[in-house]
Amino acid sequence: MIEGLFSIPKESLWWAWAVLIMASLGTFLWRGLGVLLSGRLDQNSAFFRWLTCVAYAMVAALVVRIIVLPVGMMVQMPLGLRLIAAGAALAIMLVKKNALVPALLTGTLLTVFFSWLG
Amino acid sequence: MATPALRPLRKAAFWTGCRHAFGVPAAVLVAGMIGFGALGQASGLSLGVTTAATIFMYALPGQVVFAEMMALGASGVAIALAAALTAARFLPMTMTLLPQVPQEDRDLTLYAKSHLISMTTWAIMMRDFSKLEPQARLAYFTGFGLVCWGCSIPSTVMGYLVAGHVPVPITLGLIMINPLFFLLTFTEVKTQFGRLALLTGGLSGPLVYSLSPSWSILISGLLGGTLAFLIDASLRQKAAK
Repeated sequence: MIEGLFSIPKESLWWAWAVLIMASLGTFLWRGLGVLLSGRLDQNSAFFRWLTCVAYAMVAALVVRIIVLPVGMMVQMPLGLRLIAAGAALAIMLVKKNALVPALLTGTLLTVFFSWLG
Repeated sequence: MATPALRPLRKAAFWTGCRHAFGVPAAVLVAGMIGFGALGQASGLSLGVTTAATIFMYALPGQVVFAEMMALGASGVAIALAAALTAARFLPMTMTLLPQVPQEDRDLTLYAKSHLISMTTWAIMMRDFSKLEPQARLAYFTGFGLVCWGCSIPSTVMGYLVAGHVPVPITLGLIMINPLFFLLTFTEVKTQFGRLALLTGGLSGPLVYSLSPSWSILISGLLGGTLAFLIDASLRQKAAK
């Protein structure tokens, strides 16, 4: 079946669907494997702590990369301005308690404003 | 299986989860998925394929890779592999979230429910699980995750349909909401090893990316995470002395 999916010609309307099915299966694999392997995991073990470190590091790497080295439309905005918007949001969050909404709004509106100026 | 006595607690937790999702978490996903819908349109994908990507992949970075590589006309195997690779983070994410759910709540539906784990849902659960009774956690997660997933689908359609009709600054603002939200939830991580890992991962992210874009998340996660774990372990040892 999998070979069948890849032998669909690119011109076919079904090609995009075939690739999507493969990409979706590849994505679900990790979630399913996570369920399978989490069954006997001890929350207080050193291994669990290491795993948490890996999860946080992966997510942080992705987020910082999206802001510092974006792909697509965001490239138009200079790095300094992106950092100011993110930094302002972060500063509000660190200074005030429960400030997720104002911090998020500040960062987003600054991005809109900088882009509108440029 | 669930004991009947716990049913009211779980039911309440499910609805609390739904309620908590409406608000900032759903708004962030809506913005991100509008952005993805617009990207799908710009990449020449059909509305059906674009929407199905949100329903079945439900992982924004992988979806973006999928749309951009489809637009480039890359090979099917390469696209599927690249998208799957960006999803590797779900393995440690699922493995850190589910052990916080009591053993008696585990059944085969967990495989279906794990599809609801997104970066948004995971970040909020890592924060909220410790405040909840263990028996309420899975129901809370399910309610929360269902609302987030459900909101993503019409948002993708909307993004596809309005693409090209909104000014560039608005589009950039929408694109920025996702990374900003995650950056802000990081400030709520309280453990020392968690904070160290955010630091090492965040610093290594762009560095490793410039060396190897497609493997960067995996490498940064393993190297940065291990480094943070070792620093934390040595600090623990010092504290114990």
